[in-house]
Amino acid sequence: MSTPLPATATGPDPVLVARDVVVSYGGVHAVDQVSVNISPGGIIGIIGPNGAGKSSFLGALGGQVKRSGGVITLSGQDISSLLPHQRARLGLARTFQTTSEFGRMTVFENLVTAAEGDRGASLKSVVLHPRRTKMREHAAAEHAWEVLRRFEMERTANHYGRELSGGQRRLVEIMRCLMRSPKVLLLDEPMVGVAPHLTHKLVDDLRAIGRDGLGILIVEHALEVVRQLCDQVVVMALGKVIASGSFEEVVQDATVQAAYLS
Amino acid sequence: MNAWGFYVATLLIYFGVDLLSGISLNLQFGYAGVVNFGYVVFQAVGAYAAAVVVLGPSGGVASFQQYVFGARLAFPLDLLVAAAAGGLVSLAIGMFSLRRMRRDYQAVVLLIVSLIAIQLVSADVPLFNGANGLTGVGWPLGQLLGISATSSPWIYAAWVLAICAAVFVGVTWLSRSPWGRSLRAMRDNEAAASAMGLNITALRLQVFVLGGAIAGLSGGLLVEYIGAWSPGAWGYAETFVIFTAIFVGGVGNYRGVVIGVLLVPVIFLEIPRFLPAIGYPGLIDSLQWVAIGLAWMLCLLFRPQGILPEKRLRVGRPVGPPETAVAPAEGAI
Repeated sequence: MSTPLPATATGPDPVLVARDVVVSYGGVHAVDQVSVNISPGGIIGIIGPNGAGKSSFLGALGGQVKRSGGVITLSGQDISSLLPHQRARLGLARTFQTTSEFGRMTVFENLVTAAEGDRGASLKSVVLHPRRTKMREHAAAEHAWEVLRRFEMERTANHYGRELSGGQRRLVEIMRCLMRSPKVLLLDEPMVGVAPHLTHKLVDDLRAIGRDGLGILIVEHALEVVRQLCDQVVVMALGKVIASGSFEEVVQDATVQAAYLS
Repeated sequence: MNAWGFYVATLLIYFGVDLLSGISLNLQFGYAGVVNFGYVVFQAVGAYAAAVVVLGPSGGVASFQQYVFGARLAFPLDLLVAAAAGGLVSLAIGMFSLRRMRRDYQAVVLLIVSLIAIQLVSADVPLFNGANGLTGVGWPLGQLLGISATSSPWIYAAWVLAICAAVFVGVTWLSRSPWGRSLRAMRDNEAAASAMGLNITALRLQVFVLGGAIAGLSGGLLVEYIGAWSPGAWGYAETFVIFTAIFVGGVGNYRGVVIGVLLVPVIFLEIPRFLPAIGYPGLIDSLQWVAIGLAWMLCLLFRPQGILPEKRLRVGRPVGPPETAVAPAEGAI
C-alpha cells in the first residue's frame, strides 16, 4: 500500500516526490511502495529497525540502487531512470552509510572536487577553456573556504580524508554535499561515529541548512537527533512504511512500538 | 660506434619507451584506479599500426610477410597513426570492458583480452604475418634526415626522450587539473564521486583512451627502432613489469615512475645479462620473472607507497577579508 507523505502540513510545493518506490533483491521487496514528499526547508527523518529498507530507499532516490517500481521527481522532472551523476547535477546530494570521503585527497580537494563536479572538471573544458577552468577553480576554492569556516574545519583543510576521525569524515561528506548547492540533501546515518559534543553542533548546522531552503531526508538511528531535527518522521519496517507523522505521534503509535521501539 | 655506446643508447631508448608506458599506466591506475592488465595490447596495436603504414603496400601471400592496410606514410603520420590506433582500440575495448563493471572484473577482462589478442594475431597470418611478425620497418623521420635508427642510436634516443618529456609535461599538467582531481575522486570512491555529479563511465573511457594513445605511440617508437614486431614482443607479462615499476617508484607520482622505470625494466632486467651462466640454459631469464614478482611483493609489504609517494597538494589559508579571499595555490589548487 502506498503512503504519500507531505513534508510539512502547510509547507511549500515539494521539491522531491517519491511515489510507490519499490526495490527488490531477487524476489524480496526491500522497499515496498514507499512514498515521500520533501519540501524546501523541510526535514524528514526515516527510522526503523535494521533491514527495514531505509538505506535501500535512499539508494533508490539517489540512483545507486536499482528501482523496480515507482516514480521519483525532482522539481517536477522525472528522474526515475537517470544515473546517479545526472540526478546529482539536477540538485540531489547524498551521504552514505559507510563514510565516503576521498581518502587520498585532502579535505580541501574533497570540497573543490564536489563543487567542480559537472561544471569545470571535464577534459574538454580543461583543454579547450583553460582560463574559464581556472576561474571556476578559484570560485570553488573560495566557496570551499566559506564552507570550511562555517563548519570550523579550516585546520583540517590539508589533512587527507583517511586521516580524519569518524565524525570529521561525516562532516566532510556533508560539506561536500553543500559545495554543490543542492536542492535536496539525503543523509544516511550522519551521526554514526560522531562524538556527542559534535552531534549537537551537527544538529544545529543541519537546522541552519534547512532554514536556507534545502530539503533534507535523513535516515538515523539516534532517536534524540530525529526528535530535535525532523518536522516529520517516517517509520519503516520490512520495507514498508508503518507510520508517519510528528516524532511525538509516531512514538505513541502501537504498531511502531511493536515493530521497533519496544 | 663501439658496442658499449650502442648498448647504452639502446638502453636509453628502451627506458624512454618504458617510461611512456609507466606514465600511461600511472595515469590510468595511479590517478583513475583503472587496472589495465591488458596494457601491452595497446602498445602492440601502435607498433603494428606504425609498421604497416611504414612498410608500404603488402606483397600478399607471395611475399615473405603479409599484412593488412599496407601504406607508406611520411613522418609524422606514422606516429600519429600509431597513437590514434592505440586510442581507437582502447575505445572499442573500453566500451565493453569498463562500463558498469567492478574494478576487479575489469582487470580480469582486460587480462583475458590480452591473452585472446596474442592468440588471434598469432593465428591470423594475413593480419600481421602471424607468429613470425613483421620486419624491415624503417624510421620515416630518419629517412627525412638521411639517417637510420640503428646507425644513429643516440639521435634516436634523444628523439624518444624528447617525446617522453613532452608527454610527461602534458600528462602531469592534465593530472593536476580539475579533470585529474576528478580521476582521483573516482579512484578513491566511485559511488561518492558519481553522487557528486561526476560521470564515471566517461571519465574511465577518457583516461583509458588517452592511456591507449600513449601506449600506441610508445609501440610506434619502439618498432621504428628495432625494425620488427611479433607476438613474442608483447606477452602479457610485459604489462606486469611496468606495473612493478610504478609500484616501486610510487603510484600516483610521475617522478616516482621515472625512478621505477629506471630501476625495474632497465637496471633490474639488464643486470642478469652480466651474471655468469648458472644452471641449465635459460635459468637466469626465468629467474628474472621471479625477481620481478618478488620486487612487487616486497614493495607492497614494506613500502606500499613506493619510493616517491603521491604528493599531497597543500593549500594555504586565504589572507584578507574572508569574503574576497582566494586560496593562494600550491600545487594544483
